[in-house]
Amino acid sequence: MSVDVGVLARARARARVLGAVAVPVTAPVPSGLSGVPDGDRVWLLPVWPDGATPAVLEQYETPPMPLDRAGQQRRVLAAALRCCWTRLDDAPWPGEAAPVADVLSVYAHLARGDADLARRWATGELRRLTDTGWLLLDEDAATVRTGPRTAQWPAETLASLRDLLRRLPGPEPLHA
Amino acid sequence: MFPGRRQACHRRAVGAGRVRAMSDLFEGLLRPYDERRRAELVAAYMAVEHAAEPVPEVRFPALREPALRRALEEMLALTGRTLVRAAPKEWTSGYRDDVHAALAADPSCTPPAEDRAVLTLVLVHSVAIPRAAGLLGEDTWRSAHPAGADELRRRSQLPVGELDAALRRLRAAGLVTQVKAGAGDAGGYVPGPQFHRLTPAARRRLQEELILAAGPDSPLAAAVRTRRAAEAQQGDPA
Repeated sequence: MSVDVGVLARARARARVLGAVAVPVTAPVPSGLSGVPDGDRVWLLPVWPDGATPAVLEQYETPPMPLDRAGQQRRVLAAALRCCWTRLDDAPWPGEAAPVADVLSVYAHLARGDADLARRWATGELRRLTDTGWLLLDEDAATVRTGPRTAQWPAETLASLRDLLRRLPGPEPLHA
Repeated sequence: MFPGRRQACHRRAVGAGRVRAMSDLFEGLLRPYDERRRAELVAAYMAVEHAAEPVPEVRFPALREPALRRALEEMLALTGRTLVRAAPKEWTSGYRDDVHAALAADPSCTPPAEDRAVLTLVLVHSVAIPRAAGLLGEDTWRSAHPAGADELRRRSQLPVGELDAALRRLRAAGLVTQVKAGAGDAGGYVPGPQFHRLTPAARRRLQEELILAAGPDSPLAAAVRTRRAAEAQQGDPA
């Protein structure tokens, strides 16, 4: 292995450790990473061979890494998509910023039990989904957007997600 | 159960028109193979990289056949990874030893001190102590002896909120697994699935670190320090 290949491999390994990281749009996208443009920055994400995604594991009946409260995290992601991906004929990325309050009100339709507790859990999930690049939470502005990883969803796999979001009730007006 | 019907079904262009993926990364290595072999290599690559646990080679021809396994090893090396045999006929992937050393020296790639402290406590209570008592093998990092949550609270010297946050991050990273309390068992934390991904050299290094953490004044710890000093003098990072 030449020195250059080793340096590149280390850069890709570093990107894997750091998760979704944004660099200025003027910075070069290291070879072997995917660049997802976002205004004046670019998100660096891993690439997989032949466009495969980890969903391949399902075909081999092989479980992926488990998530804490996976169902809750999926519901919060669905609620956020319902608010941020409003033009369903387009791609989910880059979507639109939506108030966190709207996402929590959509989530309230999907959660059972104590409403205050559900909001607190959901806020924690929004942070975790941001850490992993599925959403972009702006806590100061109290808004959320779809994350750069949604740009990696293959277009032909989005039909069932679109159907689900069409069926999901939208956010309730805040001062109804 | 076996590939056949699903071969090549995951070949497709990534996000055409939306995201410019550098999908040529693997092309040079995959080009010599026919469609079937290529799909087998890609499936095995995704499985060792993304499955929670090591995958059995009986399900993945690219893990079973030495020539394909070499190609898979080359694919992984492109991103600083390597194949790890976690058990006879079971495989996963991990960081190459040279890459691991570079990442560990990079502060932005290391977890916060409190996470490392809590992980060390979990390893001391779930692995080092059972191992010293003869309940665990020498070279295993999987344990059926959870570090109790109470024990972690008592020993960590961290406020409960910080301890819980560290445990949550460690769980999310697959570094610890929570064991629910059962009949006659208080539950707690054991090393998580990431411990399958250690190379033999990484396992040895971790074992030495655990000796230094759990018994810094022991003769074993002195032997580790002496050997490391000798290696450092020889300029051998391993």
